[in-house]
Amino acid sequence: MSVISCKALSKKYDDVLALDGVDLNVEKGEFFGLLGPNGAGKTTLLKILTGQIRATEGTAEVLGLDVEKEILSVKRKIGIVPEQESPPSFLTPREVLEMVVAIRETEDPDIEKWIEFFEMEALEGRVCRNLSRGQRQKVMLAAAFISQTELLFLDEPFINLDPIVQTKVRDWLVDFVKEGGTVFLNTHLLENAQRLCNRAAIIHEGKIQSLISLEKLKQQKMNLEELFHEIVL
Amino acid sequence: MNKLIIHRMLLEEIRLNASFASGKGFYSFPILVILAGLLAVFFSDEMIKDMGFSAFLESCHISILLYGVFTGFLAFFGNDFLERIFGYLGLIIGLPSTQPISQRRMTLLYFIKEIIFYSIFTLLPALIGALIGAYSNGLDLINVTKFGLALFFSFTTGLSFAYLTSSLYRISLPIAIFGGFFSISTYGFLFRNFHITPSLDWYLNGSIEMLFIAMIIPVFISIIATILVHENYESKVIQKIGYKGRLAEYTKKFEWSRWMSAPVIVSKERIDLQRSQTGTKMFFSFAFPLGILTFMNWFIDRGLPIQIDFNTIFYGVMIGFFGTMLYSWLNTIDSPNFYSTLPVTVSEVIRARLILFLTITWWIPLLFMTLIAYMSSEINLLPIGIIVMIAVGIYIVNYTAWSTGLRTNSALFDAIIFIKFFFISVPPMVAMTILSLAINHRPSTILVALATICGFLALMSILFYNRIEIKWKEESFD
Repeated sequence: MSVISCKALSKKYDDVLALDGVDLNVEKGEFFGLLGPNGAGKTTLLKILTGQIRATEGTAEVLGLDVEKEILSVKRKIGIVPEQESPPSFLTPREVLEMVVAIRETEDPDIEKWIEFFEMEALEGRVCRNLSRGQRQKVMLAAAFISQTELLFLDEPFINLDPIVQTKVRDWLVDFVKEGGTVFLNTHLLENAQRLCNRAAIIHEGKIQSLISLEKLKQQKMNLEELFHEIVL
Repeated sequence: MNKLIIHRMLLEEIRLNASFASGKGFYSFPILVILAGLLAVFFSDEMIKDMGFSAFLESCHISILLYGVFTGFLAFFGNDFLERIFGYLGLIIGLPSTQPISQRRMTLLYFIKEIIFYSIFTLLPALIGALIGAYSNGLDLINVTKFGLALFFSFTTGLSFAYLTSSLYRISLPIAIFGGFFSISTYGFLFRNFHITPSLDWYLNGSIEMLFIAMIIPVFISIIATILVHENYESKVIQKIGYKGRLAEYTKKFEWSRWMSAPVIVSKERIDLQRSQTGTKMFFSFAFPLGILTFMNWFIDRGLPIQIDFNTIFYGVMIGFFGTMLYSWLNTIDSPNFYSTLPVTVSEVIRARLILFLTITWWIPLLFMTLIAYMSSEINLLPIGIIVMIAVGIYIVNYTAWSTGLRTNSALFDAIIFIKFFFISVPPMVAMTILSLAINHRPSTILVALATICGFLALMSILFYNRIEIKWKEESFD
C-alpha cells in the first residue's frame, strides 16, 4: 500500500525549475531515503509532500489524501522535521511539546519521555531562542516524534546533533519502522542513508535519476556512495 | 572594495524589498512617489496661501527630517525583526562575523547605502515629480532643484540621528534614550535662532556657511555613531521565563476564544508578546507618532491664521488608526515557520493575533486616549472618543489582517497593497476628522453622523474578518 504517491510533480521558482516531472511511490513500512547534492530538489519535494508549498504541476497524495486539497488532514497524520530548526523562539522545549500535543489532540502524550530521551531536562526554563542549533534540532525532533503519527518526513534530521543523540535517534527510527511506521528521509549524509534505508532515490537537477533497493545494491556489491558519485559526477 | 560592498548592499536591498512584495509592486513604488511630488507642487500654492511661505517650507523640512529618522530606524533596527519573521537571514552587514572586515566600517558603509537607496527610490522620484509639476506651472526649475537639495540634507540629518541612536542602543537602552534626547536637544539649542534645518536657512538666505553646516552635520553625527559601534555585539539573552505552567494556564484562560482560533495558539502568541517585551516597544512606538501629531498641532496653530484645535474625538480617530501598528508589531515577534509542521492554517494564526490585539494590547490606546482627554480638559468627550477609537481601530486592523496576513510590514512595501490600504483607510478618517473638528458647531447632527460612520465601519470590520478565512486558509507559512 502506497503511503506517498506523486505523479509528474514539477515546481518552478521564477525561472528555476527545481523539480521536473517527479514520479514516486513510497510503500507503508519503508525507510525511504531521498538523496542528492545541494540544490537537487530534495527539500522542495519534501515541502510539497508536506503541504508547505504548492507544486506548479502534477499531483501528490499522502496516506491516500490529496495534499493540496486536504492539507490539514494530511498534517494531522504526519510528523515533520523541516530543514531549518525553527521551534517557537519564546517557548521552552516543554512548552513547545505541550503546544504540539494540544494542537494535534494527541492521546496520552508522554512529554516526560521525550524530554528525557533528548536529554532536555537541563534546558527547562530556557526559551528556544537561547538554545544552540543542536538543542533546537532536538526540540524539533521531539515535536515530531511525540505526534504519534504513522509517517515521518525528516529533512536532514542529523545535522547539528552530537554522535550520542544521533545514535539514539537512528535506533528509535529503526524501531519505529519495525513497528509499521514509515520514514521519508531527506539527506546528503550517505552513511546514514546506507545504514537506515531499505529503499532510496537519487535526485539531481530536479529529476529522480535512480530508484534503488539497498538490498539489491548490496547484491551488486555497490554502496550508495559509489552509486551517488556515478550519477552525480 | 568599499565601492563594491556598497554596490552589493544596494543590490541586496533591492532584492530584499522586491521579495517582500510582488516585484511589480516594489518597482512601481517610485511611480507613486513621482505622482506625490507632482501633486505636492500642484497644491503648494494653496498651502502657501494658508500657511505662509516660511511655515510651509519648515513643515516640508520637518516631514523630511522625520522621514529620515523613520527610514533610519527601519534600516538599523529592521534586521532584528526580519530575522524573527523569516528565521535566519544572512545579510552583508553580518559579514564581519566571518570575514576580516571591521563591524565599524561595515556599519558606516551600510549607512551610506541607506542614503543612496532612499535617495534613488524616494527622493529622486519626488524631485522628478516636483520638476514636472514646476514645469507645467511655470515655476523656476533651478529653484525647485535647489529646494530638493536642501531637503536632501535634512533627510540625511534625520537618518544620521537614527544611526547614532542605533549605535547607542547597542550599548544599552537607557544610554540610547538619554543620548537620543541629548542629541536632539543639543541640535534644537544650537539652531534655535535659525530655521528648522541649516539647509533651509541656506535655501532661504543663500548663505554658503549654512550650506557647509548642513553638509557637515550628518557627517559629524555619523562619525560619532561609527566610533560608537562595538566590534562585538551580543544579543540580549532572555532571563525571565516566569511560571513554568504558563502555556497551560493561558490556554485555559483563552478557552472562550475557541470559536475564533485554537486557545493554545492564542496562548503561544500571548507568551511571545510577554517574553519578547514587545509591549514596551509598542508603547513607545505609539508615543512617537502621537508626539509628532501634538507637535504638528502646535506648529499649525503657530503658522495658520485660523485656530485648529484637535480634540479628543480627533485623537480617537488617530489612535484607532495606529491600531495597524499594534497588529504589525504582533507580526514581528517570532517567525511563524514552526506552524508549517502542524495542522494549523495561516487564518487561525491571524485570528489568534486579532484576539491578542483586542484583549491584551487594548490598554495602550486607552491609556493614551485618557491622558489626552485629561490634558485637554475634555473628559466629557472621552466616551465618544473611545467609541470612535474602537470603531476605527477594529476596522483598520481587520482590514490590515485581511489584506496583509502575517507579513504586514513587508506587504505594505507593495505599492498595489499600499494604494488599496490608502483608499480604504483615508476616506473614513478624513470624514471623521472633519466631523470631530466641527463637534462644537452642531453637536447633535455631528453625533448622528459619527454614529452612522462607526456603524458602517463595524459592518465593514465583520466583512473583512469573515474574508480572512477565505483569503488565507490555503496559504502556506513559507
